[in-house]
Amino acid sequence: MVMKAEDISLDFSIEDQKQRLMNPIEETRVTQDLSNNVVLTTLNDLYNWARMSSLWPLLYGSSCCFIEFAAMLGSRFDFDRFGLLPRSSPRQADLIITAGTVNMKLAPVLVRLYEQMAEPKYVIAMGACTITGGMFSTDSYTTVRGVDKLIPVDVYLPGCPPRPEAIFDAIIKLRKKIDADGYIEKAHIKQTHRFYSIKHEMKVVEPFLTGQYLELPTRMAPPKSLIESGIPLPALEIAKKQEVEING
Amino acid sequence: MAEEVKESLVETTDKVSRWLTENGFSHEFLGLDHQNVPILKVDREYLIPFATALYAYGFNYLMCQCGYDSGAGAELVSTYHLAKLTDNPDAKPEEVRVKVFLPRNDPRVPSVFWIWKSVDWQERETFDMYGIVYEGHPNLKRILMPEDWVGYPMRKDYITPDFYELQDAY
Repeated sequence: MVMKAEDISLDFSIEDQKQRLMNPIEETRVTQDLSNNVVLTTLNDLYNWARMSSLWPLLYGSSCCFIEFAAMLGSRFDFDRFGLLPRSSPRQADLIITAGTVNMKLAPVLVRLYEQMAEPKYVIAMGACTITGGMFSTDSYTTVRGVDKLIPVDVYLPGCPPRPEAIFDAIIKLRKKIDADGYIEKAHIKQTHRFYSIKHEMKVVEPFLTGQYLELPTRMAPPKSLIESGIPLPALEIAKKQEVEING
Repeated sequence: MAEEVKESLVETTDKVSRWLTENGFSHEFLGLDHQNVPILKVDREYLIPFATALYAYGFNYLMCQCGYDSGAGAELVSTYHLAKLTDNPDAKPEEVRVKVFLPRNDPRVPSVFWIWKSVDWQERETFDMYGIVYEGHPNLKRILMPEDWVGYPMRKDYITPDFYELQDAY
């Protein structure tokens, strides 16, 4: 619409301007109206409503999917209006959005995080990588081909990576799912077992990354055979120079 | 353009290669790559004196250390890309690439950690992916794969284990 100068009218009266500028100072009637009314619902609905309105996601993610997910946390896409507060502890989280490729090194970590979350818990598989392995699904020796092989997934969110709006869509779909959840239906729904349930027969290896990396004696001096070979190694030459500087 | 290509093909030696030969560091000149970087092949027994000589020549910066598999059943290769950095920002740094060919059943090579310390994690990664053992490396352990992983996944003859997680998606 194009604004034309002759269409714009100015309110010259002081009263009109006051009305326009001042906030309505009346009290809202919502609470009174509600408390004087009767709301008929079931406890199940109330329970579902409370659950779906305060889905707290775990602050988990990697790669490009998490960049999109991180955009959601900001004010532009404003995550919090759905009642989503990112939690850094799995004990406080209801929802895990698996953003980013999951490989064999990360898989046990993801399963542990999922197991540490309190029931009821939900999973959104975000991005192609966590649905099928994505672009790594054909010839990778370490990418897990879909996170549903590790944990049960409620909503599959495709995209590479999905936009923040798509994440909203997934969350709304999850809310609908929670809303439809009921104790009577639960008895009829049988979940197909798609996630991993057999234990690997792997040998447990002591962690070898001890954090003493820089203090290792092998890093302090070159091996004897190398010193005895008489090759003027730069590392030795630098050490000699420093000694001369300190002594002289 | 065609003449230039011909010239570079005809060329059998390079400044660095000539200098090394003059000073008695035996090696094989493998030619120039598309950016005219000379490629030198050296035996693993002479790698440490050879690399020290290159350092003394002025190659003070190790741009990249990596490995590759030259084919199933063929040799594993450890390569070192070196550059000569000076205080003059306008001069294009002189570069050289050193390759060490290693037999697949005994892929041992001395570590150049005591010459260029930046090689530390790069040699660990090459060990992790190709199983090339860098003798004298201060902390030669897997860097990317899980601690208990069996095999070296970037080798051409590597077979991916039949884990449930790695099988086809639904």
